[in-house]
Amino acid sequence: MRVIIVGAGEVGYHVADRLAKEQHDVVVVDVAAARLDYVESHLDVAVLEGSGASPSVLERAGIKEAGLLLAVTSVDEVNLVTCMSAPSRPGLVKVARVSNPDFYAERAALQPGTFGVDLLINPERELALEAFRLLQSTAASDVVVFAGGAVQLLGLRVADGAPVANRPLAAVGAGERGRQLLTVAVERDGRTIIPTGATVIEVGDHVYVIAAAREIPRALELTGHTHEKAQRVMLAGGSIETFYLAQLLQQHGLDTVAIVEDRERAQELAEQLDRTLVLNGNVTDIELLELEGVGGMDAFVALTDYDETNIIASLVAKHAGAKQVITLVNKSDYVPLARRLGLDAAVSPRLSAASALLRYVRRGSVQRVATLQANDAEVLSLAVTAGSPVVGRLLAEAGFPEGAIVGAIVRGHSVVVPTGRDTLRVGDAAIVFALPEAVAPVTRMFPT
Amino acid sequence: MNPLEVIRVIGVLLVATAAAMLASVPFAVGEGLVGGWLSAAALVGGVGAVAWWATPPVGGINAREGVVIVGLGWVAVVLAGSLPFLFTGVAPTVAAAVFESASGFTTTGATVFPVIETLPPSILLWRSMTHWIGGMGIIVLGVAILPLLGVGGAQLFHAEVPGITADRLAPRIATTARLLWGVYVLLTAVLGALYLALGMTPFDAANHAMSTLATGGFSTRTASMAAFSPAIQWVTVVFMFAAGVNFTLHYRVLTGRWRAWFRDAEWRWYTASTVSASALVFAALWVEQGNGSLESLRHAAFNTVSIHSTTGFATADFARWPSVTQVLLLGLMFVGAMGGSTGGGFKVVRAAVVAEHTRGEVRKVLHPRAIVVTRLGRTPVRSEIVLNVLAFLGMYVVTHAAGTVALTALGSDLVTAMSAALSAMSSIGPGLADVGPAANYGHLGDPALLVLSALMLLGRLEFYTLLVLFLPGVWTRAGGRR
Repeated sequence: MRVIIVGAGEVGYHVADRLAKEQHDVVVVDVAAARLDYVESHLDVAVLEGSGASPSVLERAGIKEAGLLLAVTSVDEVNLVTCMSAPSRPGLVKVARVSNPDFYAERAALQPGTFGVDLLINPERELALEAFRLLQSTAASDVVVFAGGAVQLLGLRVADGAPVANRPLAAVGAGERGRQLLTVAVERDGRTIIPTGATVIEVGDHVYVIAAAREIPRALELTGHTHEKAQRVMLAGGSIETFYLAQLLQQHGLDTVAIVEDRERAQELAEQLDRTLVLNGNVTDIELLELEGVGGMDAFVALTDYDETNIIASLVAKHAGAKQVITLVNKSDYVPLARRLGLDAAVSPRLSAASALLRYVRRGSVQRVATLQANDAEVLSLAVTAGSPVVGRLLAEAGFPEGAIVGAIVRGHSVVVPTGRDTLRVGDAAIVFALPEAVAPVTRMFPT
Repeated sequence: MNPLEVIRVIGVLLVATAAAMLASVPFAVGEGLVGGWLSAAALVGGVGAVAWWATPPVGGINAREGVVIVGLGWVAVVLAGSLPFLFTGVAPTVAAAVFESASGFTTTGATVFPVIETLPPSILLWRSMTHWIGGMGIIVLGVAILPLLGVGGAQLFHAEVPGITADRLAPRIATTARLLWGVYVLLTAVLGALYLALGMTPFDAANHAMSTLATGGFSTRTASMAAFSPAIQWVTVVFMFAAGVNFTLHYRVLTGRWRAWFRDAEWRWYTASTVSASALVFAALWVEQGNGSLESLRHAAFNTVSIHSTTGFATADFARWPSVTQVLLLGLMFVGAMGGSTGGGFKVVRAAVVAEHTRGEVRKVLHPRAIVVTRLGRTPVRSEIVLNVLAFLGMYVVTHAAGTVALTALGSDLVTAMSAALSAMSSIGPGLADVGPAANYGHLGDPALLVLSALMLLGRLEFYTLLVLFLPGVWTRAGGRR
């Protein structure tokens, strides 16, 4: 499928990278020639210099054959005009990145389906949503919700003294028979593997567990954590992400404190957020953090625009005793680093946005549910059709590649967390956890 | 500044005042006072007509002329309104006549007459008319002039009303004022009908309906509302409360948006403080006097609402109530009614802003780096407006102190002086001690009456509108023309 990406910034670059690797024909349009040179030399995509808002530029980029138009420059208005300039026809999905909170107001005129935009993506809001999901369970590094919340994928660090530690998974599983729990991946020393029954879990491993909602406390217990939801949260930084996250937190009745460095921005946020305590100060000012009781916080979320500031602030908060620390990092190289430094979870706006965008790039029967930030593994939802070779065969014998595992089966309104003895039926949706190299082979097993 | 335009508008106001006087003439026939009334009307109407016809129309006025017209207009109308009291011979002195007229037009309701029943009906009607006309003036003041000048954050009075902007006096504002007058007339008519139905004479019903909706307080009886039945008193409680509500809210409710009351943060404050203050007064009466009857509840509710809405009717001599209730009532005298109502006082909305701001300052002690935003309901109030309100508070306190000093210097005791000054500034009527609801102002002497008249006008016009007349800059041409 031809994909036109307008805007070669962080989000555009990352999405282009992912789509190109999946064999799509990607054309990247941007006004900055230097940036396009960089894109062209690093990715297998075509580039075109010009404004995406111009119909003639879009035409040259091949809008006639395109199946997807992603307008992801950093300027909302340019993105909207780009979508309006492109022809509206069936088969072409037009997506605009829109960051301005005003456009997201409850009764804003801008809604998906209006102004020639089929889908609105807001990277800052996606990141806030992701951080909010993490706060729902203070121990998790990743939380992916699917099947309407009936099933979740949790990333959990195996703590000292955890019941699962130093035991093969088969032995752990024997004690948990009948529970809707499945370990789909184990991350150790920067490598991710799909475990078998013989895999021995060690303290310090990062495990990814798929669990029915009611089994989540048990999953936390097994990895040595207690089930806790954050009640008091401190946010550092005055970014748009801070606004969205604080808004979510105050809507859910959590005590929220935001530390904002810029005085004017602090004033603005204080006016917009009526139930959040906004403080003006330096986020790495240890005295201020301690005065405001960072040690007693259930969670600390560093959301400034600077990775280094976020990491330092997070370390200070963690050291002072904040229970859960979430750090925003823009550079994807820092994501694994953050975990090694002892920070609980790292989130990246461009990965959040890319993940949200990719979720809508259907390819036949495939729908992405999420992309994990630390290892690029994907959670896919695949529709089972009559033509699929997996139908009617035991999962253990269906020939899934090594880097992939069926984590859940959505069957009508119920969800099954399967074992190797379950089978897939026509009409099911299989939730598959796949490492990057396994995505393409798995996808081929589910033809439309 | 175009003085001709100012003179012209004041001329129109005087002609209208003279026309209003003519309404009393039929009642004066049996009293032998027709001559006095006609000469008062002729003098006021003549001066007004000359000012009106002798000046060329310019078409439109600017903000500065607006202020001058308001300030001078009220003074002119008050002076004109004192003439009937003089020409019919009921007022003992000129100062007493001016006081009675100022008390009427500012909807205060304080009187110099010890016995009301002996006054001729034409004068009784005139007193109620001055209230009612004053109430109309206040509605325009609240809609057009105060928000335009930003006096004490008066923009807050109509924070939720679209179309009232600070850049012009016409034509939207004229429309708005007419709609609000419509509400005012309608409520007056409804109350008058209720009074009639509950057994008042048509004359009493008309007088008290006008007095109530204007949050005035002049009655046709020395005993004020105590002369009427409990049912009438309860109805009056409801309408006094309503007259203290922003009329814009009534308009919205009457046009089908019935949630407008509850959505308004100021209304919630006003209602909460009315209910809780009435309950406290009732409790204090119960504890101190052992009287928990329905009658006691009626007195507590009536007099509390009367003070809070700045009406000034009374059913009991609250100057003899337990001290704690008197202090509570003094507090309500200061706060007064809602912005945009016919009531006076510091205004609930300003008190709410001051309270919220203070709360924020206390919060800052706990969180020194906190950015605290003062809010009214959920809407942030700009710090500039908060400062306006605080300046207005300073103005209120200083004026009250000055008034108290002047009255004590003229021979009043402290409680009388304090309460009289506050009562005048907040346009209530009765005070405490020597000027309590059972007493009157006649014994204070001419100088004190003039001081109080000035305080009534200052408070009614929210200080700035009147004080600005004393700034030399207002009278120069520079910057005055559009």
